[in-house]
Amino acid sequence: MTDALVLGQRALREGIRTPEAIVPTLFIPLFFLVVNVGQAAKIFPGSTTAFLHGQGYGAFQLPSSMLLAASFGSAALFLVEEIEGGYFDKLRATPVRRSAIVLGRLIAEGAKALLIASLIVLVGLAFGITIASGVLGFVLLVVLTALWAVVYAGFMQIIALKTRSAAATNSAGLIFFPLLFLTPNFVPRDLLTRPMEIAATFNPVTYIMEALRSLVLVDLAWEPIVLGYLVVAVAGAIMLAISIRVIRTYD
Amino acid sequence: MPEVTSVVQRAPEGRRSAAAVEAEGLVKTYRSRADTVEAVRGVDLRVEAGEVFGFLGPNGAGKSTTVKMLTTLLSITAGRARVAGLDVGREPDAVRRRIGVALQEAGLDPRQTGRELLVLQGRLFDLSAREAETRAVELLELVELTDAADRRIKGYSGGMKRRLDLASALVHEPEVLFLDEPTTGLDPASRLTVWDEVRRINERGTTVFLTTQYLEEADQLCDRLAIIDDGRIVREGTPARLKAELRERLGLEREATLDDVFLDATGRTRIHVAGEVQEVSA
Repeated sequence: MTDALVLGQRALREGIRTPEAIVPTLFIPLFFLVVNVGQAAKIFPGSTTAFLHGQGYGAFQLPSSMLLAASFGSAALFLVEEIEGGYFDKLRATPVRRSAIVLGRLIAEGAKALLIASLIVLVGLAFGITIASGVLGFVLLVVLTALWAVVYAGFMQIIALKTRSAAATNSAGLIFFPLLFLTPNFVPRDLLTRPMEIAATFNPVTYIMEALRSLVLVDLAWEPIVLGYLVVAVAGAIMLAISIRVIRTYD
Repeated sequence: MPEVTSVVQRAPEGRRSAAAVEAEGLVKTYRSRADTVEAVRGVDLRVEAGEVFGFLGPNGAGKSTTVKMLTTLLSITAGRARVAGLDVGREPDAVRRRIGVALQEAGLDPRQTGRELLVLQGRLFDLSAREAETRAVELLELVELTDAADRRIKGYSGGMKRRLDLASALVHEPEVLFLDEPTTGLDPASRLTVWDEVRRINERGTTVFLTTQYLEEADQLCDRLAIIDDGRIVREGTPARLKAELRERLGLEREATLDDVFLDATGRTRIHVAGEVQEVSA
């Protein structure tokens, strides 16, 4: 684990020295939050819309923006850069565990996601959104978002390791569109059309979004929260298993 | 294809006793949907401890592929290799602890400073934070980068990057140092500096396995060398013996050069036209 932490520190330093890669991760999700609220807030007034639990539509949209931010990780693109530049081979020539090479960047990705998720929530709070589940809810909210950011970045890293191409990795990153939009993004699942509801039910991001949303809108409702964490845990385990296999057989 | 000529010089007593690198029938095959490429086709090598061994060959001959197999970075399709007495295929981590690697691309992280890169490298070889700091200072001094230690690597010149790469390969005081074309793209002054470093490192007891396209470099630095062409070793021996053998075999009136040996070994000839040298395949 020490090796992974040392490599994580290095990746974090890299992120801090490349602010141009982090700043859009904060501003684009906030932009979409403003736009989505601007377009739909009148349709769903807080006072008469049951699924908003007395809050404004911004509170309902906040988790979508957090998940969007979590999908903007730059670990995979930095990795491709490192493969192309030869530093990746330098790391592979050291006796560190192969898993540490993968985990290092993911630790940094998790730390960055914690910070960005916290900032997005703080901006939301400044505009009147409240976290109904309190301080513990806030912690669970940003931790779940950061864990999803790690899992998503991990899958992108697998693509980077397999393709060794920035273009291919970038294109693969577009999968966040179906992942994010085949969800109860604008309304709860029971208000979706039947085909959309089926698609959302099969989409793991749905359960993470519903967990985040319950933390924002209602007090600690453990069923969706546990389900959200369980989905991230299973996806994380799959991601780690594939990552380790891919880096061990990397030629 | 010319026959393999092996002109091996016996190692001086006391200096060379055990093999630092041994390869038997080393093969690397790349398979794709369209075809199969045999990059290395059965390489046998023996590098004695304490030697500077040169590994020469034209572009695409299999030099870098061989080095990557010996340094655990590529899987071995067939054959076996031992480095520092350890089996590369079976004990890759143990091999990694005993070797230093500076590859063709001078693989460095441009966003770190020279000092940060060396400290990180030390930490990855199990040095404590303090030990890694101390070692970084020593190495920066060794490669004359102390003044640039806290500048980001992206601002370094080509020569500085090569020297830093060399330093990073030495962090853990390896038994065997692999240098893949360490002076490619460098100006003559930087090249000489790298040569001095290689000599200094070797004098401290490190075996150096060096690939190069520069025959003068091999002549200057290497105790022994092998020439690889089309994935096979076509010559092996000391530079002096290889030159003498060629002179004798071709009945040359002048001294043979390493260029002559290389061209003879790889089946290439030179045609001098109006003062220009053109290289053509025989």
